[in-house]
Amino acid sequence: MSRYLAPAGLEEALVALAGGARPVAGGTDLVVGVRQGRFPIPDDLVAIHRLAGFRGIAEGADGGLVIGAGTSHAEIVAHPRVTRDWTGLADASAIVGSPATRATGTLGGNVANASPAADTVAPLLCADAVIVCRSTAGERRLPLDGFATAPRRTLLRPDELIVAVELPAPAPGSASCYVRLEHRRQMEIAIVGAGALLRLEGGRVTAARVAMTALAPTVRRVPEAERILLGSDGGAAAVTAAAEAVAAAATPIDDTRASAAYRRAMAAVVTRRAIGGALARARGETVTIPASDTLFGAA
Amino acid sequence: MAVVELPSFVRQDGREKVTGTARYSADLSTPGLLHAAVRLGGVAHARIRGIETARARALPGVVAIVTQADVPDLRYGTWVRDRTLFASDAIRWEGEIVAMVAATTEAIAREAAALIELDLEPLPPVVDLEAAIAPGAPLVHPGWAAYDGDARIPREGNVGSRHTIVKGDAEAALAGAPVVVRERYVADGSHALPIEPRAITAEWQGDRVTIQTSSQVPYLARTHVASTLGMPEGKVRVIVPHLGGGFGGKCEGHFEPHVAALARIARRPVRLAFDRREEFLAPDHHRERMVIDLATGVDHDGTILARSARILIDNGAYGADEPYLAQLAAVFAVGPYRIPAVATESLVVYTTTQPTGSVRGPVAPQVTWAVEQHMDVVAERLGIDPLELRRRNILVEGDEGPVRQRIGANGAKTALERAAEMIGWGRPLPADEAIGIATGWWPSFPGPSGAVVKLNADGSGTIVTGAQECGTGSVMALPILAAEVLGMRPEEFTLLYQDTDAGGWDAGASGSQTTFNNGRAVVSAATELRERLLALAAERLEANPADLELTDGVARVKGSPEAAIPIAELAAEAQGGRLLIADGSGDPPAVPEVDAGGCVGRLGGESFAAPCYFTQAVRVRVDRATGVVRVLEVAAAHESGTIVNPIGAEGQVLGGIVMGIGQALTEGTQLTPDGRQRNADMLDYKLVTAADAPPMRVEFVQVPDPNAGPRGLKGVAEPPAVPTPGAIANAIARAAGTRIRLLPMTAERVWADLADVEAGR
Ligand SMILES: Cc1cc2nc3c(=O)[nH]c(=O)nc-3n(C[C@H](O)[C@H](O)[C@H](O)COP(=O)(O)OP(=O)(O)OC[C@H]3O[C@@H](n4cnc5c(N)ncnc54)[C@H](O)[C@@H]3O)c2cc1C
Repeated sequence: MSRYLAPAGLEEALVALAGGARPVAGGTDLVVGVRQGRFPIPDDLVAIHRLAGFRGIAEGADGGLVIGAGTSHAEIVAHPRVTRDWTGLADASAIVGSPATRATGTLGGNVANASPAADTVAPLLCADAVIVCRSTAGERRLPLDGFATAPRRTLLRPDELIVAVELPAPAPGSASCYVRLEHRRQMEIAIVGAGALLRLEGGRVTAARVAMTALAPTVRRVPEAERILLGSDGGAAAVTAAAEAVAAAATPIDDTRASAAYRRAMAAVVTRRAIGGALARARGETVTIPASDTLFGAA
Repeated sequence: MAVVELPSFVRQDGREKVTGTARYSADLSTPGLLHAAVRLGGVAHARIRGIETARARALPGVVAIVTQADVPDLRYGTWVRDRTLFASDAIRWEGEIVAMVAATTEAIAREAAALIELDLEPLPPVVDLEAAIAPGAPLVHPGWAAYDGDARIPREGNVGSRHTIVKGDAEAALAGAPVVVRERYVADGSHALPIEPRAITAEWQGDRVTIQTSSQVPYLARTHVASTLGMPEGKVRVIVPHLGGGFGGKCEGHFEPHVAALARIARRPVRLAFDRREEFLAPDHHRERMVIDLATGVDHDGTILARSARILIDNGAYGADEPYLAQLAAVFAVGPYRIPAVATESLVVYTTTQPTGSVRGPVAPQVTWAVEQHMDVVAERLGIDPLELRRRNILVEGDEGPVRQRIGANGAKTALERAAEMIGWGRPLPADEAIGIATGWWPSFPGPSGAVVKLNADGSGTIVTGAQECGTGSVMALPILAAEVLGMRPEEFTLLYQDTDAGGWDAGASGSQTTFNNGRAVVSAATELRERLLALAAERLEANPADLELTDGVARVKGSPEAAIPIAELAAEAQGGRLLIADGSGDPPAVPEVDAGGCVGRLGGESFAAPCYFTQAVRVRVDRATGVVRVLEVAAAHESGTIVNPIGAEGQVLGGIVMGIGQALTEGTQLTPDGRQRNADMLDYKLVTAADAPPMRVEFVQVPDPNAGPRGLKGVAEPPAVPTPGAIANAIARAAGTRIRLLPMTAERVWADLADVEAGR
């Protein structure tokens, strides 16, 4: 029999964690994983989804954003700053699961779970996100890049809680996009996905981020692709070359969802579309959120 | 804001289901209830050398364990008695049940089930359908010549049943035909996958057992319990609470005898509730894998001269209702077309995979998917518009059908033309979009069925029926028929429908037969009450019963509303004497004569009583880079005779189309080389969801059939799932320029085909 603690405040939750309890936020990964027999239900659970200050989005002083770890995907997609300045994140949160999953599942849970298919991680990597962790010993701020070390493994210590995800202010002229291959329109798990952020200045790409989803043991950036884009004109040749770089960097698996060959080919397609979507947005064109749907059938 | 038009008919079970108060089998509890868990074989094929239950029995909380050693040594099977309740000599598919445990909690029961030790000697798996019928193939049932069974089923190696239609000389006609098209299509299996995994509770009182089960067919479940446990049917009572869907997967008996046997040993009530994985693997109703070879000879003007076909159909490890269904495949291979020379053959093949059986429109979606693509290929070869090819050959009144039956008045051609018009056949479209069309037919299944209708003293009515509501709303709509006969409103009737001790016998929610057969029973009972009411009213009004009518809740002299007596008043009067209660059954309509050569006519039903005819047209968009297909629009024109409940009928068509989209594009059972399922979970077995449902337009072409159900109605529920995959396939072929001959037509398969085309392979 496991014990379930609903703490009154953050400190109580941290004490429980220090005592060996596991946090549960929306429970959409944890409960489902237990039901599927992937791991046993932890002996002690500490519910964090109702903690004050844990949920909600605040504007940082420098024009950035601080997203409470307990913020749901639905809340993220509904936030005007996110849909204006972090469109890639909005693209991702908008396609997590179904309406019910988005109302329940949290950003912190998506990051902490460290699934190679987690949808928000690629756009968060592109946004240079910083993970704010707290324990009874204090606070740590870790770059998201490198935070996940293996499938379902992160740098988070067992007694630490992710309290927030910080996003620095976006550079002027930059825009982002996230695209996932979807065989059905809801309840899809990423077969492959890609996020991109491009900054355009005077027709040149002056900053580039490309990250791939479900194509490696962790969601990760692809520096080879970023290098190809950086300094380019963002034209078809550069985009295609960057997409090929992602396909080459991918280590796709063969399973029931797809063959490795299909995944590798699709890596190039979704990357092309993600970069294309980010470039279009950087040029001021509208690419509706979520982009996955609108870019269906694109080059 | 859009104005929502309220439906004319509201189902009685709707409020409970929508508000979450409806109770399903797994919600029921009873004092002293134990929980059961199954031990499944886990391997595709093995000889059982021993089953050791000692460690499981020793687990605290375990109350009883049942294996084949604890039940009567009886074989069962609808056509061939090829199966025992529990595997004892061999495991023939991974989901085959070996033992069941009862314990004080579900967790203990599951733990104990896992502790049962099986001593197994591996046997070669039999998976591939062609290989299974090749000479020297390992046999799934080496000793089956000795099994009891229906003498009409031939027994040859792994061939579990064989059906042919031979009409004219098809080989000669093919040899002489100006144009001949030969093709092969291959379909993967798929699942019925109701939202509710099945749950069964059994409780004994003396030598009588009451079973609450999520069954589509309570009377068949009762027979199954009685025959496998060697007890009289009268000692078995089957009750079905709200049923969370079935789609055919809960047809025939399933696990009711196992739970009953376990409860008898445990001397306590026992409940079994499957988890999702078990619901995938253990039931013996999986949609069939098929290998479909078709050949058609045509004249240059598009007149079809001959059709030959050979269809291999997966039977799985045991023959559930597949040996019967396979004969329908031989008919569907012809299609609803006028073809003078026919030689079609369907072989049911034993394999060491999950048994197959009825899933919404069994065998028809796959065969129709192949035949309708084949029709488009023929049209292409001839340079004729596919719609025109169908128009020239579709069955019309007076034609001779595949088994030389006479085709009656029908709406096949009108439905074909309406679906084409509705979707705008031939209109210009963007390069990545195209329209496809598929037509088909599906029989009604006449059979016995019973109901009781009574009027209460307050003038309300009660229908006690043997029919089973599986979610389609067909039982919910029975009051419409009774109300019509009695001049009352449907809301004035209550329904009791789920207890084999109460209603008359019925074949259950299968074969789209509820309104067709039980509707007849309800009308027959209501008609008797109508005569009684008219006689009572005639006395009171001093009139001739023939001059009276029942309408708006009163009995009155036709055309003179002043001389009226409320039905409630007559019912109150009857309460003081002979009660207003009547039972009904009525004579099932006849099945048309069969007059063709070959092995048809053996099991009955191949000549298609009161067939439904239908056409669906779909518009799709193909993403060439990824192979993803989106269905953008569907137009469906269905002829199901008279439509008595329009909102219910439309709901069936919408649901059938969405199910058809899933079967076309994403739903497929993936097998390992040794025949175990790789995707027995809802993450990897991809149902489509409401979000994938495209705009759909539905029209009913109403042609009453005199040899059908009340008012000339036919079945409605299964046909909508039949033509959708074929229509989508034809649309994909036109949009992508390559034809997908594997079902489901997954994105990866479309992509691989396109890559082949681009590479010139
Ligand atoms: C039907 C369904 C569909 C889904 N579809 C998608 C999808 O499309 N894309 C996708 O990416 N994911 C999907 N998911 C996975 C899941 O919904 C998301 O990952 C979600 O964001 C997880 O959030 P949660 O709050 O529910 O996490 P929980 O289940 O509560 O937690 C997940 C893990 O993270 C830990 N954890 C949670 N919060 C914190 C924290 N603040 N600090 C430290 N550790 C923490 C928990 O201990 C647990 O180990 C789906 C899940 C379901 C059930």
